[in-house]
Amino acid sequence: MTPPGATAAEAPARAHAGAVHPAHSSEMERVYVWDLVVRVSHWVIMLTTFILAVTGIYIGKPYLIADGPTDQFSIMGTMKVIHFYSAIIFTLAVFVRIGWMFVGSYYARWQQFVPMSPRRRRDVFGMLKFYSFFSSEPPLNVGHNPLAGMTYLAVFAIYLILIVTGVALYSISAVGYMSWFEWLVPVLGGAQTARWIHHLAMWFLLGFVAHHIWSAMLVSRIEGMGLIDSLFSGYKWLPKGWRNRDK
Amino acid sequence: MDEPRSDFRRELEARGVSRREFMGFCSAMAVMFGLPKGATAMIADAIENKQKPTLVWLNFQDCAGNTESFLRASKPTAAEVILDLISIDYHEVIMAAAGHQAEANLHGVVENKKGQYIAVVEGSIPTGANGAYCTVGGKSALQTANEVCGNALATVCVGTCASFGGIPAASPNPTGALGVSDAVPGLKNLINLSACPVNAQNLTATLVYFLTYNRFPALDKLNRPLFAYGKSIHDNCERRAHYDSGQYVEQWGDEAHRDGHCLYKMGCKGPVSFQNCPNVGWNDNTSWPIACGHGCIGCAEPDFWDKMTPFYSHLPGFPGFGQGSNIDKIGFWATIGVTTAFAGHTLVHLTKKIAKSGRDHAPDGPPAATDASDQGGAE
Repeated sequence: MTPPGATAAEAPARAHAGAVHPAHSSEMERVYVWDLVVRVSHWVIMLTTFILAVTGIYIGKPYLIADGPTDQFSIMGTMKVIHFYSAIIFTLAVFVRIGWMFVGSYYARWQQFVPMSPRRRRDVFGMLKFYSFFSSEPPLNVGHNPLAGMTYLAVFAIYLILIVTGVALYSISAVGYMSWFEWLVPVLGGAQTARWIHHLAMWFLLGFVAHHIWSAMLVSRIEGMGLIDSLFSGYKWLPKGWRNRDK
Repeated sequence: MDEPRSDFRRELEARGVSRREFMGFCSAMAVMFGLPKGATAMIADAIENKQKPTLVWLNFQDCAGNTESFLRASKPTAAEVILDLISIDYHEVIMAAAGHQAEANLHGVVENKKGQYIAVVEGSIPTGANGAYCTVGGKSALQTANEVCGNALATVCVGTCASFGGIPAASPNPTGALGVSDAVPGLKNLINLSACPVNAQNLTATLVYFLTYNRFPALDKLNRPLFAYGKSIHDNCERRAHYDSGQYVEQWGDEAHRDGHCLYKMGCKGPVSFQNCPNVGWNDNTSWPIACGHGCIGCAEPDFWDKMTPFYSHLPGFPGFGQGSNIDKIGFWATIGVTTAFAGHTLVHLTKKIAKSGRDHAPDGPPAATDASDQGGAE
């Protein structure tokens, strides 16, 4: 894969286009980075994660107590239904996004998550230096920076752990085809352990969310490339020489 | 009274159990297995006429609680008569023989009825110190289990200890205790009737099923019969409506507890435990733990002593934070910690940037200047 727009015709232009950081360049260019599937799956996962966490925390520790006759309340019942439907949407969004890593556009691909090229491996350390205050600017990357990409791999692993343990816990009471997944329960070390892993993975994910929001705000502000806007529009503002930098 | 009567009918009469009670028992069994009405006659016929299997009952690392459960009876019931008629040739707790005589009985069964008797095992098998922690008649539990279970038609593990190791196998497991299926791998026709202790109703039902159909009922992944272990306690619980509605006991003895509300917040393990306690109950269906106002402790699950504790909290603790630690509390504060740390981090970065932009346009050039070297060859 070559980045979109990186054609042979542009090779001469590339020769004298320096790897100038946007913060130091006045010449910016609007580039389409995130395709529709990436953007939609991102916000669907964010929204369902929020709903799943709120309802899930209630299911783990019901803090609202029905005050009145049993047959007139269904607080836990409603929470569980919302949790299950959100989980279905969440699972579909995660699977679509994982599939899109193999068939999607350039910046949606798995190479954005696994640092394959020497430059991307070097930028992992560039990002670490930025985060640990050893440099004031992050290295220029059009798609995910390589450190973020690697983090998202871990996040996808957390998604899968949540999905597998969630499906296993659901299968216990399931009627119909979902009860087929009951074989997962002993594999996970029993339902109680599956439940414990489900909670633990949720807290890891919420910890990531806290980090993710702050980092997005920080990097967006420092880079000045419209990182957060790009998750809505798909476009980032890049310095004219970006094609030489990212591949 | 002229028709010839089977020994079994005479036995029932002698014990004061009416034919009606006996048929009631057979229907109850059919219902328990989820079989149609016609099965009642089949079960009755099998119990009356088929030859009863020989049974040997082995006690290893146990508290004899399963024996107690098995021998429990407030009145002579059809089930009791059936169990009595099953020829129990060896049972350390109830047999009359002792010493070499008793051992001779066991060997007699193993030699003469090879592949025809049922071995019931109670208690876990210690494997540490070459099996020295549990020896009977000079033989280790492991040797006896290999010999007796290996030559049996079927092995029935009663109680969680025999099924999965149970309390003797709980951490740190000083005797290296194992359940039968782990200690003697590859046994054919092994069935686990876990629970602490086993519900005599389930043991009777399993033996009746075996007697009727000459095979074991459908089993789950842990070799437990689905008719007894197919559903979670939670899904059949009489307090389930309170769970769905959102009515929970929050303190022992509070109003909700007195009203019989859901024990979920008191650490009830009903949602993660599988058995038919809510349906068959205990002590002739007098009661069962949740009906008494105490949550389920998940005694029928593997490693319940390690995994289901603390019994009064929803989840186990977090390793390194102690048994009483709460993973949700730790997770909550960890998330707050991450938020604070990154907020601070971001603020430091942005402050530096603002300070820098104040004295910007310094002639030291862009920091990315060193990257110019990989422009050509990087692709």
